[in-house]
Amino acid sequence: MALYENPEIPEGINVTAEHPLKDFVLLLLAATGILLAAVLALSLLAGYLVRYVPFAQEQALASRLSTEFQRANSDASKQKQAYLQALANRLAANMDLPKDMSITVHYSTDKTVNAMATLGGNIIIFQGLIDVLPNENALAMVMAHEIAHVRNRHPIVALGRGFAVLLAISSLTGVGDELMQRWVSNMSMITLFSFSRSQEHEADVDALQALLKTYGHVEGAAAFFEYAAKQPRLELTQLLSTHPGLEDRVAQIQQFAQEHDAAGKHELRALPDFIMLHEPQAPATATCD
Amino acid sequence: MILSNIETIPGRTVVKHLGLVNGSTVRAKHAGRDIMASLKNIFGGELKGYTELLQESREEAISRMVEQAESIGANAVVNVRFSTSSIAAGAAELFAYGTAVVLE
Amino acid sequence: MPIDLIVFLVLLASGYIFGQAAEKRHYKSIFEREKALHGILCSSERHLPEMGNVEGTLVSGSVVISIDYFKRFVAGLRNLFGGRISAYESLLDRARREAILRMKAEAGAYGASSVWNIRLETSSIYKNTQGSIGSVEVLAYGTAIKFR
Repeated sequence: MALYENPEIPEGINVTAEHPLKDFVLLLLAATGILLAAVLALSLLAGYLVRYVPFAQEQALASRLSTEFQRANSDASKQKQAYLQALANRLAANMDLPKDMSITVHYSTDKTVNAMATLGGNIIIFQGLIDVLPNENALAMVMAHEIAHVRNRHPIVALGRGFAVLLAISSLTGVGDELMQRWVSNMSMITLFSFSRSQEHEADVDALQALLKTYGHVEGAAAFFEYAAKQPRLELTQLLSTHPGLEDRVAQIQQFAQEHDAAGKHELRALPDFIMLHEPQAPATATCD
Repeated sequence: MILSNIETIPGRTVVKHLGLVNGSTVRAKHAGRDIMASLKNIFGGELKGYTELLQESREEAISRMVEQAESIGANAVVNVRFSTSSIAAGAAELFAYGTAVVLE
Repeated sequence: MPIDLIVFLVLLASGYIFGQAAEKRHYKSIFEREKALHGILCSSERHLPEMGNVEGTLVSGSVVISIDYFKRFVAGLRNLFGGRISAYESLLDRARREAILRMKAEAGAYGASSVWNIRLETSSIYKNTQGSIGSVEVLAYGTAIKFR
């Protein structure tokens, strides 16, 4: 008769000897990576597709959403706004805007050192910005930069991207419904817009071209960036965090000047006196929260 | 290592019986395959991805059973049986067991 | 929103801590009982050798074991990428050995010295709320033989 016995079988043949946390961390990282890539792809796609929204639609959207643009309510403000609008029109004439596109400039008495472009060709210039600029040429540079954003449809691209990301996050996690609603239902999205470095660069180049065509030279264009570079960083983070390095931008402007300008001193236009005058500060506005 | 699912290995004599050995594994196919499989569920036909999944897993289960048998000094497993169960959607558990023996 | 996340993290952490502790405890008890019941011979063979005056009866042992929340989550992630779900391996290993041990315990109570023609069945008791695995059942059965 054959022998019968039950030897002990060593452990660990049917169980992988691997710490469960290791598997967990690896899988989590991989899943997060794929998720991020998907969200990024989605946002790029949305940003790409949204360019095909007609400008008229964008304007309609902006006027429906934006009840917050400050109205010029005093004579002084109206005068300033008219001056800014005229400047914008002069620059826009040299920027090949598409036929259906129009620029609307809004003036804000707010002390914020900023200017911004938002949906529907709306540009907001703050008194705070005007106060730090030495001449019209510097203001024109900032203005042309914002017009270039509008011309290149940057605000609606940013809107599309932001919307796609938010949609993805809220549908994936089931959280953020409130955020969604708040975002869609009011215009606080102005402050959510942030343009990428390449978009800022594109806008800078276009603005320089416009300045060259309008004034025949680009002298004074770097004034705002030179001013901003001298400021302590903290105060300006809001405005400049997404902008290319200030030194880079100044250098870019100087290089452009060397390539396109005739040598010698150019005449700079002064800002009109009335624009430097302050009126009593309006109560804090929602656009600068 | 010789495997059989009858009591003996034909033509050989068993000199020692070493008792139960088993091997098992749990496998999953990636989500893409799962989606293809659910599409196939509409049209019918072979779920190639799953056939492959089960085949791979079964081979692994067998190799683990063989490893157990070798570790206790056997050179054959007789009376091998398989069992398959689905543990989660898209994941399969394969199990093989038999009696390890020493042949002459 | 943070409530959901906190609940999830707490479940995950407690699943990990208690799950690991339970597994360790279970393995310890399995090792002890396997040693104690080592005297009972197990075989999946159908043909008994000539043993003389014996009698036999059907014995069985079964167990249902559930996986913890942490491992279920890991397995869910693994399902996206495919591959071996090592989180479930120990679950099945434990379930199978526990079922065999219970069968052997029953055989021991009967006074048997060996169990023959052992078969094992695994089935999943799943489709819980998330539609994924809740637990597995393993059934082991065979014929116990004792000398008359």
